[in-house]
Amino acid sequence: MAESKVNEILENAEYEDQTVKKVVTPGDLVSMVWRSLFLQASFNYERMQACGWLYGILPVLKKIHTNKKDLSKSMLMHMEFFNTHPFLVNFIMGLVVAMEENKKDQNTIRAIKVATMGPLGGIGDALCWLTLLPITAGLGASMAMGPDPNPAGPIVFLVLFNAIHFGLRFGLMRYGYYTGVKAISTMKEKTKQISHAASIIGLTVVGGLIASMIKLKIAWVIVVGQASIALQDKVFDAIMPNMLPLAYTLLMYYLLKKNYSPVKLILFTIVVGLAGKGIGIF
Amino acid sequence: MEVTLTQTLLVTLWAFIIGIDQFNILLHIHRPLVTGLVVGWILGDVQTGLITGATLELVAMGMVPLAGAQPPNMVIGGVIGVSFAIISKLPPEAAVAIAIPFAIAAQGCVTLIFTAFSPLMHKADRWCMEGKTSAIAALNYAGMATHGAFFALVTFLPIYFGASSAQAIVESVPAWILGGLGVAGGMMPAIGFAMLLKIMLKKEYIAFMLAGFILVTYFKISILGLAVLGACIALYDFYAKGSDKGGKAVKQEVHPNGGI
Repeated sequence: MAESKVNEILENAEYEDQTVKKVVTPGDLVSMVWRSLFLQASFNYERMQACGWLYGILPVLKKIHTNKKDLSKSMLMHMEFFNTHPFLVNFIMGLVVAMEENKKDQNTIRAIKVATMGPLGGIGDALCWLTLLPITAGLGASMAMGPDPNPAGPIVFLVLFNAIHFGLRFGLMRYGYYTGVKAISTMKEKTKQISHAASIIGLTVVGGLIASMIKLKIAWVIVVGQASIALQDKVFDAIMPNMLPLAYTLLMYYLLKKNYSPVKLILFTIVVGLAGKGIGIF
Repeated sequence: MEVTLTQTLLVTLWAFIIGIDQFNILLHIHRPLVTGLVVGWILGDVQTGLITGATLELVAMGMVPLAGAQPPNMVIGGVIGVSFAIISKLPPEAAVAIAIPFAIAAQGCVTLIFTAFSPLMHKADRWCMEGKTSAIAALNYAGMATHGAFFALVTFLPIYFGASSAQAIVESVPAWILGGLGVAGGMMPAIGFAMLLKIMLKKEYIAFMLAGFILVTYFKISILGLAVLGACIALYDFYAKGSDKGGKAVKQEVHPNGGI
């Protein structure tokens, strides 16, 4: 099975070739910004942005890992679940590329990715979707509306929006990379502890994401004579809100441990969704 | 008004481009505001296009992909709404009413595309093992082509065959199918998290995961706030162990793939 081979390759977190060479140029940072525009090209529910993320850093990974085995190993790790805000992703990219360049062990790199992706996703939502977009689009729409619609409205929107959009991307890419380089050289000796610390942050965030990102509510109302009991309100939420998302995640975790493939779990989820909606559970 | 084939194809081409832009590149030319100008120009009525586009923009304002949840797809809503406002000479509000069913149907189909791409990730794993970097790139290009082609198709059909027949088809899809796909889409991030847990979760971290879950569930703390709190604990842990000459932490490290 392919799954077990992936595990086998990733079992040893250290790269085979440990020679650190500085290969990432400022030009690479720019080209990674352009490639990161395709972050969601292969978006899917299982790994979300993972494959698009890999596409973004792939040429640089190739430069860093001249050892074929190391390249495969690095690619496999970057194919793991990843999801963040598509504008702020460049910060993580800079950070991660700096770590790859320094041949950090994969557990540390993974922990840093997971610890940063959730918070940046939240900041990005608030900053870009709930602030930048309404302000610029609102301005453009107000110009395009009214008794005398002005064709400049959409253009003003695009110029304002993208000035900030690309400013963020290029700025964060450089900031992430140079922060990463600096942080790594000062903390060279403490890789294990850093990995441990990042795992603490990462798993705290994953716990929070389970509570906030998974949508699963029961619409069923049980009618017993005169009384009716709304299961979600009166039973599940009374025990613990979000207990269903947590339970479903733990079920998926359990099945993965039992070597069910993620594809099976996805099909299972679709069947549950359709059947549940069909008979009115959801 | 009569729509020429060239105009239909140009609007379809626009739908292809913005079908890509809504997930990738993200210049935000996919917003109804911009679509209003462009489709208005193609169909020869910039005035109506701008007003309808701006009206749809305000409707779409709240419909953004927060935390990955797909809202009704106002990209399709924008193209269809503006097109029919001009073709059938509808007031902007009526155009919104036409746009919404298409937006909801398109949302269901986007869920389907995102699901259909999941099995391909295992192919991608194999390409990683074989070091096939160009296959990874090709998969991403194919993804974008799929997004574009789907949006082009959904735009072409109603404009070519007329809104009323297209709307009848959209409404004939049972609500439970679209609803059920939506429910499944909402549950699916659980699989991604489970995969991360399988790799990262060791016994010593279970408490932190549960704490994160509890803090968000009961105290509605934001993810950023949660991360900062996690960072506080991590910092304490880091320096508390660091003062112990660093040796202890290394020894404590369990087998990398040990899990629980």
